[in-house]
Amino acid sequence: MRTPRLMLALAALLVAAGLATSAAAQGSKTTITFWDAYSSDGPEVKQLETVIIPAFEKANPDITVKDVTIPYNDLHQKLITAVAGAQLPDLVRSDIIWVPELANLGVLAPLDKDMPAFKSYSSAVFPGPLATNYWKGHYYGLPLDTNTRIWVYDPATLKSLGLSGPPQTFAQLESMSAEAKKQGVYLYAESGTGGWNILPWIWSNGGRLTNASYTKATGYLNGPKSVAAVQMLVNLYKAGEMPNIIVNANGGLGTYDGINQHKYDATLDGPWAFAIFSSSYPKATLAGSLVPAGPGGSVSVVGGEDIVLTQQSRHKAAALTFLRFMLGTFAQRQMAEAGQMPVIKSSEGWLPSIHPYYATYLKQIATARPRTPTPKWTQIDQVLTNDIAKAFQGSETVQQALDDAAHKIDGLLQ
Amino acid sequence: MVVGNRRQRRALLGARMLLLSAGVVVLLVPFVYMLATSFKPNTMVLEIPLKFFPRHPTAANYIQAWTSNQFGRYFLNSLIVATATTTAAVLLSAMMAFAFARFRFPGRGLLFGLVLIALMVPTMMMLIPQFLLARHLMLLNSLSGLIVFYTGGNLALNTFLLRSFFQDIPFELEEAMVVDGASSWTRFWRLILPLSRPGLATAAIFTFLASWDEFTWALTIINDPGKYTLPIAIALFQGQHATSWGLVFAASAVAIAPVLILFAIFQRQFVAGITSGAVKA
Amino acid sequence: MLRTRSTASSSSGTSGARVASPRRPLSSRRRRELRDAYLFLAPGFLLFALTILYPIVRAFQISLFHWAIAPGAASAFVGLANYAHALHDPVFWRALGNTGFYMAITVPTQIALGLAAAVLLDARMPARGLYRTLYYLPVVTSWVVVSLVFRYLFITDGGLVNWVLHDNLHLISRNINWLGARWTAMLVLGILGTWKGIGWSMVIFLAALQGVPRVLHEAAAVDGARAWARFRAVSLPAIRPVVAFVTVILVIGGFNVFISVFLVTNGGPFDQTQVLLTYMYREAFSFLDFGYGSAISFILTLIVFALALVQLRLFRRPAGAS
Repeated sequence: MRTPRLMLALAALLVAAGLATSAAAQGSKTTITFWDAYSSDGPEVKQLETVIIPAFEKANPDITVKDVTIPYNDLHQKLITAVAGAQLPDLVRSDIIWVPELANLGVLAPLDKDMPAFKSYSSAVFPGPLATNYWKGHYYGLPLDTNTRIWVYDPATLKSLGLSGPPQTFAQLESMSAEAKKQGVYLYAESGTGGWNILPWIWSNGGRLTNASYTKATGYLNGPKSVAAVQMLVNLYKAGEMPNIIVNANGGLGTYDGINQHKYDATLDGPWAFAIFSSSYPKATLAGSLVPAGPGGSVSVVGGEDIVLTQQSRHKAAALTFLRFMLGTFAQRQMAEAGQMPVIKSSEGWLPSIHPYYATYLKQIATARPRTPTPKWTQIDQVLTNDIAKAFQGSETVQQALDDAAHKIDGLLQ
Repeated sequence: MVVGNRRQRRALLGARMLLLSAGVVVLLVPFVYMLATSFKPNTMVLEIPLKFFPRHPTAANYIQAWTSNQFGRYFLNSLIVATATTTAAVLLSAMMAFAFARFRFPGRGLLFGLVLIALMVPTMMMLIPQFLLARHLMLLNSLSGLIVFYTGGNLALNTFLLRSFFQDIPFELEEAMVVDGASSWTRFWRLILPLSRPGLATAAIFTFLASWDEFTWALTIINDPGKYTLPIAIALFQGQHATSWGLVFAASAVAIAPVLILFAIFQRQFVAGITSGAVKA
Repeated sequence: MLRTRSTASSSSGTSGARVASPRRPLSSRRRRELRDAYLFLAPGFLLFALTILYPIVRAFQISLFHWAIAPGAASAFVGLANYAHALHDPVFWRALGNTGFYMAITVPTQIALGLAAAVLLDARMPARGLYRTLYYLPVVTSWVVVSLVFRYLFITDGGLVNWVLHDNLHLISRNINWLGARWTAMLVLGILGTWKGIGWSMVIFLAALQGVPRVLHEAAAVDGARAWARFRAVSLPAIRPVVAFVTVILVIGGFNVFISVFLVTNGGPFDQTQVLLTYMYREAFSFLDFGYGSAISFILTLIVFALALVQLRLFRRPAGAS
């Protein structure tokens, strides 16, 4: 008769233990995982791990944030594999061009539906970066940090060329490039023919890549304004006023080295150029100005990262709490000090005090446009790169090249 | 192989060393540049034209690389994984190679053919199927997951390599043992393995290097920064817009050290005299 | 009579137990032999089958579909359509040509130079260990570092190579735009691959040369053979299986070139230097067409397999020769 009593005692013990652990579980912490691609010795990850996350965890004691840094060049591959194996984390700091692709795969949560008070956050951020999260009627993320390209130049070189200031219009670009060439300097250096490189010029000339609903490229990419914009650059190149790294980035003198050696004066680049110059070329000076304006104004291209929530996350509420925190003024300001340009409109008040060049970036981002938000963007970009290069290399006219490209892009946008 | 008279030998030796030294110079240029840059102050851009020697050498990159994040931990992880993989892979491959080289059994051709074919399939395409498999086996996010798949991945090459070496060992030596009634394991352990030390050393060196340097699989299955391996650590020094090359080079130089040490130790196995004299008329 | 190694083994045969018996029920000895064989084979082969063979089968399965990545999403079966697509894809053929070119540069060179280095290092001499370690150094240096250095070495204006050829030796009239055009860039990649791989084949040849018994060399020397003749008559035949091994592996490696191309040119400029694997990587991981990427890799496997068969046949010893 001892055994049944023993068993009863054991059972009671087990039940008690079970209750105790479940009670503990209810009071225990939720851990959310956040993937990012900051470099491991950079200031961003230090800010995140030593300032921002501790502040968040203090304000939310039942949530722990686990930050996983992944090498930037490999983040996309890791995301894709994680999709295939259903191993995504709760939150990801994703490059903006991947968001439509991930949304199309069905792995992201539509924030405009799943996030309470979404509207208050979406209206607080710049419209250009916000648009990068849009896919098939929903917003699948919110911007986290942004950047754009402005005219970045060396004032000392300009002075030695006898020019008073950077070009503000297309006409000035052309005349100044000719002037610079006479003295053996390339005024403007560009290192590729992809969307990131060429779209600012197309848009500033009043052209477009596609129609407003992103479904067709023919008539837009090969329309007269777009063709004229590319033609202007091709003319500069053919006149020997632009270096050949636009079609030969691998073997030639890079933009930074070129500017430092006073062989080039300017390029279009994001805020990191200033940080790199101050640390690697302390003797050089760098200044910023708006992209030269054409008939369409001074319109640049949006870059940056969005923060997205995955569908398979099991702690969506906690993850959204962290997401909101990252979009708050505190976190945005901390990251701004680490070189990440904030996405909230209210940053216009305090951003230039952190770095003066941010003032120009803020002005530029107000009108900057996103690249076409579509899952096939990488392929579209490859088409642009390859076909526009043919115009520069002279094997096709600009019109032919853009006709080809538009036709192929139509197929990809279907 | 030293034969011939004294003067001939001296001249031959001189010629050898001259040729070898010329080769070394060519081979070492990039490595010297890497070392030199690692001792320069950290920069995000490399100067053109290449400058080979730092004006103000500093060890700051090495210090920063080692103390950044959990570099020591990553180093240890790589060491554990590579050592375990090498031991397991060489042992299992030697056993398989022994079976292929010394036994006749039905299916031998087919099975060896499968080993060969596996060598020819690009590993990248297996990434997702292997990932799904690792998930089923609950090996994700673990060093064991690395060890298991690295071992599996090195079996084909090592088996092929060791089979060639085993085939070179004349059977006469084993014949005596077989006649004496020795078990296969005894033949394997007491005769074949000792006789094929150069081959085993080669397999060990290659396997260690392959698992020490492996990046893609480690990146794919590890989600816990504490379990990262060295190649990931080095890749993390590369940023989106700029890379700290001084740090990358310093970290890469540190990463080379264990492999070189292992090589220096194991290459002593490449010494003649093991089988000489054993084969007589 | 000296029983030389060359007749004791062959590249595909075995010097296993003598079984001359005609059809008879298996002797206990034969049964033991079979049991031993499978016991030695099993642990390794099971692990191999699980971690390698099974994923290969699944990868092949993927190549027959228009594969959807997200788990649970339906994939459309397309049969051999992915393979047909490859055959009509001009970039695929260009990648194939580039890969073949790369292989033609790197394989013979690595064998010849690796063998030469091994022969030179296979002697008693001061600092032998140091020399061997130095020769192995490129093999262990990371691809990231090496690719970057080579990229800088071959920069058109300011790179070391052009500086030597143009400014110093005056061998060329204008700086060569190495990485800007298809064949010069592939040549650079080939040089990089060879440079990095010599130490690898050197190590294997070195190990193999150790197995050649000194007795044979001495016998040949007594016969009056000079060093080169000795090498051809004694060393080469003795290491024949290893040369076969190295050739097959180098061809496989040549066709599987990826990381150096990825880091130096990334298939550029404009897909001129795509090789099969960089192209496959882009199709699969960037454009998310895993079915197509998988098909490309299996076509690659088929080609390498055919080449391997040819090579093994070439290396097979004609019966009776020595």
